[in-house]
Amino acid sequence: MTEQSRFGRFLSATAVALTGTALMLSGVQAQTIKIGAPLALTGGLADEGRKQAIAYDMWLKRINAAGGIDVGGRKMRVELVQYDYQTNEQRAQQLAEKLIVDDKVNFLLAPFGSGHTKVVAGVAERYGVPVMATSASSDSIFNQGYKHLFGTLAPNSGSVENLITVVTRQMPNAKRIAILGREDVFPKAMATVMSDSAKKAGLQIISLEYYPVGVLDLATPIAKIKSMNPDWIYITGYSKDLVLARKQMQDLGVKAPVVTMITGPVYKEFIDALGPLAEGVTSASWWHHSAQFRGNDPWGSTKAFYDEFVAREKADPDYVHAAAAAALVALQKAIENAKTLDRAKVRDALAALDIVTFYGPIKFAANGMNGGRDLPIIQVQGGKPVLLYPEALKQGNLQSVK
Amino acid sequence: MEYGQVIANGLMLGGLYACIAVGFSLVWGVLNVINMLHGSFIILGGYLTFFAWLHLKVNPLVALAPVAAVLFSIGFLVQYLLVNRVITQPVLTTLTLTFGLDMILYNAMNLAFEATPRRIVLDLGRLHLGGVILPYDRVVAMALALVLTAILYLVLRTSRTGRAIVAVRMDRDAAALMGIRVNRVYAITFGIGALMAGACGALVAVVFPITTSVTGLFLGKAFVICVIGGLGSVPGALVGGLALGMIESLASFWFGPQQAILVGFLIMLVLLMVRPTGLVGKKGYE
Repeated sequence: MTEQSRFGRFLSATAVALTGTALMLSGVQAQTIKIGAPLALTGGLADEGRKQAIAYDMWLKRINAAGGIDVGGRKMRVELVQYDYQTNEQRAQQLAEKLIVDDKVNFLLAPFGSGHTKVVAGVAERYGVPVMATSASSDSIFNQGYKHLFGTLAPNSGSVENLITVVTRQMPNAKRIAILGREDVFPKAMATVMSDSAKKAGLQIISLEYYPVGVLDLATPIAKIKSMNPDWIYITGYSKDLVLARKQMQDLGVKAPVVTMITGPVYKEFIDALGPLAEGVTSASWWHHSAQFRGNDPWGSTKAFYDEFVAREKADPDYVHAAAAAALVALQKAIENAKTLDRAKVRDALAALDIVTFYGPIKFAANGMNGGRDLPIIQVQGGKPVLLYPEALKQGNLQSVK
Repeated sequence: MEYGQVIANGLMLGGLYACIAVGFSLVWGVLNVINMLHGSFIILGGYLTFFAWLHLKVNPLVALAPVAAVLFSIGFLVQYLLVNRVITQPVLTTLTLTFGLDMILYNAMNLAFEATPRRIVLDLGRLHLGGVILPYDRVVAMALALVLTAILYLVLRTSRTGRAIVAVRMDRDAAALMGIRVNRVYAITFGIGALMAGACGALVAVVFPITTSVTGLFLGKAFVICVIGGLGSVPGALVGGLALGMIESLASFWFGPQQAILVGFLIMLVLLMVRPTGLVGKKGYE
């Protein structure tokens, strides 16, 4: 064999190998669905971001164990591309853009909280990428005219109205309410929505104040509330603010028959951090594991989701975990219905979605929010959250705070 | 509402603030190092106290001394092994170093402890004094803050190490010529700063939920307090802390809680323009 022909054969062999690899690689690329997720793994919302991460992981493992999502007859595995945006709003925006432009994700998941969801939704809308909001419930996020934003939490007003129903029915003498809210998208929205609904229900709002982000002391506003003698104290904020507030209420000897904190008591860490002080605090939630549903999703039933979570985390799941997993389920179902990964078609499939899952019914209204479901009201009794509402599922009655 | 309660709130908050700032002020004033690790040291002290309470059932006030000692050793080593290498560089270099170390410590704590807010569930009761309610844990925190600050002040004034620290601040080369081991003095000072942060963290753990996400908050407060009170002097941090506590409490009462922090920063800005050395600070070091 001559030198040339040996070299020639080497060249063609290499060419074949390279082409084969390229074909294989492109084949592999085309086989995965990429979903981008900016997560707050550090910074002020690190605790909440972690909850989303757990829920995403649970869904991812299940869906890939079943071979992936069915796209028009072909099963495609799912890949989750995660970045830590450090609870920094600008970084959330930059990472969302990076996920779309560099990582070429097919779809996006929004970060925790209405504030940062808004920012990411803006980026997604610009690029025409459907984005699932797992923990945003404020109307101000969904009234921007975005066509690509869909959220699994129901609107704020629904939970507040159910709360008022429970209190006015079971404690009709509680007429004077004091509201203290955190100056942050979701907590402020919950405070204003309560103020509006309370007025409509005939309650008297004796105080409505806001405290800034990053507060280390709430003694003065709480002492002010004390001097007004309210029947109902309603405070919104994130876990550490609420723990501080409840403790300072005890410090200053502030008592009222009804104490509501949004959304403290639905989280285990709130109850752990307060011990006996958590007793009697009420809250509203978007989901409670005792409301049993059956659905055509990777878990099939609320109980299956609950059991897997408890086995994995040794604690009860809260609505953040459930809503995050449900968002992925909704996206999965929309892809299956659309039979394609085409963003516009999946977007339309999301808009038309009407299903029941382990999380309950999912049907998006025109603005992208999940239709108002019968949002549960809970109260901490005996160290555990007890369901007060809806009537059909309730486990106990409203008790006065001692 | 009673002004008495507002003022009492302010003083108790102020005591805690003073504790937060003293270590920071000392390190900045003596070493000319802006210790970005300060907030994380406080939270680390808080976590150690919390876990001692959770697993070993140790009362936080008892845990204070060992936790402070642990933080002292950490601070000493950080300075001796790392910061000393750049100590003669401009302040921005040392700031960058401590900033980087802070990121390491913060993320390590996040990984190890997770950001879930933890709180020591301990009800020490309340003191009722003429219509004003003073929760005992805040009173104890304030008292301890004053005691620790006083001890520090005495140490600096009377002990050999303390005088060495002051000497090094006055003139590093002259101090070296006098036989003072400058690098060791630097390390001890940084260690004392960390010790105060750790002690503060132990007190904070009783009063406030501990989570990694507030390290920046404490650091920010320390800055403001040092500017208000004056740098490098122990009484300055005390005055600054009490002043800020009173300012925030009164502002919250007069203008509403959402303005309380804003007013604090505005006053800091005004002081920077009118009296940049702070309320008590002088140029140089006493």
